[in-house]
Amino acid sequence: MTTVCYLAHCLLNANAKVDEGARCAGVYSPVVELLRRHGCTIRQMPCPELAFGGTRRFWAVREQYDTPAFRAHCKRLAEPVAAQIRADLKRQARVVIVGIDGSPSMGVELTASSAEWGGRPHNPQDEDYPVVPGAGLFTETLLGLLADEEANVRIVGLGQDLFDYDEQAELEKLRHTLSSEGGEVAR
Amino acid sequence: MRGDVRGRRVAVVPDSVVNPPHGVPDLLPRLAADGWGIIALASAELGSSERAAWLDLVVEQVVTFLDDNYDVALVDGEDRAIQAFATKMQEIGRAVPRVLELEAG
Repeated sequence: MTTVCYLAHCLLNANAKVDEGARCAGVYSPVVELLRRHGCTIRQMPCPELAFGGTRRFWAVREQYDTPAFRAHCKRLAEPVAAQIRADLKRQARVVIVGIDGSPSMGVELTASSAEWGGRPHNPQDEDYPVVPGAGLFTETLLGLLADEEANVRIVGLGQDLFDYDEQAELEKLRHTLSSEGGEVAR
Repeated sequence: MRGDVRGRRVAVVPDSVVNPPHGVPDLLPRLAADGWGIIALASAELGSSERAAWLDLVVEQVVTFLDDNYDVALVDGEDRAIQAFATKMQEIGRAVPRVLELEAG
């Protein structure tokens, strides 16, 4: 069975990260290498924050993005992705969505949320960034569009936007998701 | 937040770079080693209307990078999806003239 992985945009293009948030120059190779070893087809999702807030945007929380305009933007971005996912499921592919935990838009299990965060930027400490359980706005929109197909899709978040990011632990989480049905393939 | 090591280099690539067909050199490691991030165009498997919508999204993202003076280039200028992208950029009065000549790393 083919596995198709839908990656958060920034995993293939760190230039899309918030200002000061890029952990690599461009392509995050450890994830690509892992997916190659598993013989996965790779698809890149659009970055909902990039075209909305630009490349120099600050690290915002869900509440700052949670406007009708941003939700409409997420829906517009998610529709072709959902169409491709439906087509992949129809041809019996296994679909894995790989988001970014800690992101206000791409979070899966963890997102950034606070009733107080906002106003004049004051460069707070990394550990102050308010991460809470929950999904990001784009993830929520995409899963909503998939509706009854959501149960057929696996989804995992890599914690690249977390203060205590542990690369090996996050890669292991992805490896576990990929290996839970079918093992690695030689390439 | 935590320092930033972005390369400020973005390559627009056809699906065949992200998912190289059997026997075709894998260019993604080369791009990664050279510090490029990528924006991948939609697979030809996608329906035409969804592919057009996907293309519009890519154009918006590329324009965002161009406007901030990022280095943007194309990979495989002969690919039909890349040519469609270039045409779409021309329609809005923009261009990505640089085409990367790559060999697998």
